[in-house]
Amino acid sequence: MVSTTPIHIDALAAERPQPGTREVVFDIRDLTVSYEGNPAIRSVTFEAYRNFVTAIIGPSGCGKSTFIRCLNRMNDLIPGAVVEGTVLYRGEDLYGKDVDPVEVRRRIGMVFQKPNPFPKSIHDNVAFGPRVLGMTKDLDARVERALKQAALWDEVKDRLKKSALSLSGGQQQRLCIARCLAVEPDVLLMDEPASALDPIATTRIEDLMHGLKKDYSIVIVTHNMQQAARVADMTAFFSIEQGEEGHRAGILVEYDVTSKIFTQPSDKRTEDYVTGRFG
Amino acid sequence: MRITLQQDLDSLQANLLEESELVLRALRGSINALREADTELADEVIAFDDDVDRLYLKIEHGIESLLARQTPVATDLRFVLAVLHSNLHLERMADLCVTVAKLTKLAHGLPLDEELIEGFDEMASRAEEMIRVALDAFVRRDVEGAESLVDLDELIDRTNRRVVEHILELGGDPALREWGLRMIIVSRCLERIGDHAVDIGEQTAYLVTGEFREFTDASHPERVDT
Amino acid sequence: MKGRRRDIRGAIFRLVLLASLAVAFITLGTLLFDVAGKGFKFLDPRFFTSPPSLDPQEAGARPAILATLYLGLLLLVMTVPLGVGTAIYLEEYADKKRWYNRLLEVNIQNLAAVPSIVYGILGLAFIVRGIGLDRVVLAGALILTLLVLPTVIIAAREAIRAVPDSIRQAAYALGATRWQVVSRQVLPAAIPGIATGSILALSRGIGETAPLIMVGALTYVAFDPSLLGPFTALPVLIYQWTSFPQDDFRALAATAIIVLLAMLMTLNALAIWLRNRYQRRW
Repeated sequence: MVSTTPIHIDALAAERPQPGTREVVFDIRDLTVSYEGNPAIRSVTFEAYRNFVTAIIGPSGCGKSTFIRCLNRMNDLIPGAVVEGTVLYRGEDLYGKDVDPVEVRRRIGMVFQKPNPFPKSIHDNVAFGPRVLGMTKDLDARVERALKQAALWDEVKDRLKKSALSLSGGQQQRLCIARCLAVEPDVLLMDEPASALDPIATTRIEDLMHGLKKDYSIVIVTHNMQQAARVADMTAFFSIEQGEEGHRAGILVEYDVTSKIFTQPSDKRTEDYVTGRFG
Repeated sequence: MRITLQQDLDSLQANLLEESELVLRALRGSINALREADTELADEVIAFDDDVDRLYLKIEHGIESLLARQTPVATDLRFVLAVLHSNLHLERMADLCVTVAKLTKLAHGLPLDEELIEGFDEMASRAEEMIRVALDAFVRRDVEGAESLVDLDELIDRTNRRVVEHILELGGDPALREWGLRMIIVSRCLERIGDHAVDIGEQTAYLVTGEFREFTDASHPERVDT
Repeated sequence: MKGRRRDIRGAIFRLVLLASLAVAFITLGTLLFDVAGKGFKFLDPRFFTSPPSLDPQEAGARPAILATLYLGLLLLVMTVPLGVGTAIYLEEYADKKRWYNRLLEVNIQNLAAVPSIVYGILGLAFIVRGIGLDRVVLAGALILTLLVLPTVIIAAREAIRAVPDSIRQAAYALGATRWQVVSRQVLPAAIPGIATGSILALSRGIGETAPLIMVGALTYVAFDPSLLGPFTALPVLIYQWTSFPQDDFRALAATAIIVLLAMLMTLNALAIWLRNRYQRRW
């Protein structure tokens, strides 16, 4: 029998960042994004922490990709997209008046769902970012470093001049990660990075994330909630709700330490989703 | 591959081993308290149980979190379930030590029988050995080592029977008889600790073979051969 | 499972397809054989080195061949930058929802369909007479440029559109500016398509007769052409020679056709080779 004197052990409290103890990398307040007047996400508010993997999960259409594209101003490229609310990156307003989107995107890199290497050599793929940003000193060393960080160097070091399209899917995705890392970002955004890959390639990417979070902060969108359970420190659950005007838009339902989301979610909607009883 | 999962599994096993060390300390303490009729030491043993419970809950939460987050399968899953059960067995062992300590306190002031104390010493040493063997077999995934626990348990059982017979012959002094009654429970506790160690051995066999079977079954008194 | 279902309709359809193919090949084959037969007589080095003459035995097509080559070169130099530039603007920079861009889109398709004689008249009115350029090679090149430009724009646009958006997204996400994305990723990837389209448009251009006639290429030119001088081109020379009464001139016309066809087929073969060699499988 367990001793009758109650021992309150909140093992999870040890993981949950206390306000003020962990550095905040993104402070998102009341973020609302609309395309042509139709809201895609509404009033999203939470903080993402430094050197953490933060996962965004939720059903299709809940605005996960829309959300993550706000964090590096990729929504600027979509005509008709309106971003309201505040996104503070390390305390600075990402959408401030004098902020240069190019510099934003250097610091906050993005890896996409389907690996999209350029139709160039492996070396030139990784070198593209540094070249367009003017970081041309010691380019080869930079390329090597990035490929090593992405756990791809050993596999490609003898064929850097070969086309990137000759690599397998999993290798191409790691190449895309190396491409991001070459410009020395601070944050890595990943939009369903493994959904086009087989299980072994997926595991390699997940292990890579585990290693990368020592130096980078990672935000990942995934429709595979088991993946979020495996890799993320904090998990945000988005769902779709009807607003007062009648439009359905994505909202943030719950944001907490991953083990709590998957063992004792606070919100019933979260519970329904993670147990697979959604809809 | 699956670095996080491996780290979590290793952490669970390390915690289990730590818990077994705590149980050994509790056992040693409770027997010493009994032998010396030391009620202060007995109180320490009782308070010490909080440490075991803390670790027990830590392992429980660890398992809950690991199952939810890593969805282990095959050997990994059996390992987690084996840790889950063994965790409980270790915690029960610690509770049994607390019972012994409480009985030591209750028996304070009563006369004692040296021969019986020696018997308990022997049983406790046997139990300690069994705990070590059980955890060692678990860590090394050694089914034979786990099965050897049955023989060790047999020794404790024999000593337990001897103790009971001896107590039945005590006779005479009512205080001594009261002490004797209390000591039957102590003997039972030590015997139960041995049983829990065998249970941990069964978990090791389950972990390795995927089959759960009892090493000895009361309804089939003959020993189950491998 | 055993036995074969009789697919009558499928068999008939195949026959019809083969018949159409046969008609096309037979017609073309007949034409080619006829031309080759007739023109072979005068196919010798003298044909390439001598100027035309009223004596069929002396006549050659040298000025016309040179003029056609010049026109081709000028066409290349003028249409490709203009066409590719327009295509880049339309695909990468223009906001597709603005009315003037939509107008532009629709009209390019229309322009490609305008008959070449209309371009000829346009050229006569505005280029030969309007800016006073007179009936010179440059004027001919300018008109052909107008004729061929819509096709080049359309081909370049298709090639640019074929570059997957994911490439652009990746480049933007790395911090590239729009110009860097276009110049370093989109254009290099689209070049094979652009080259193929341009060469095909070019080969159409140098085969045109009507606009060149309007611009005054239907003259008797016995000297080598220069940029600002009068000229005649191969297609026009062919037209000229077929209107002379002597049979020999008709044979000479056939020879000229052989030469022109050879030029066009070489260009087309080049375009196809380029396309096969550099085609991307996205």
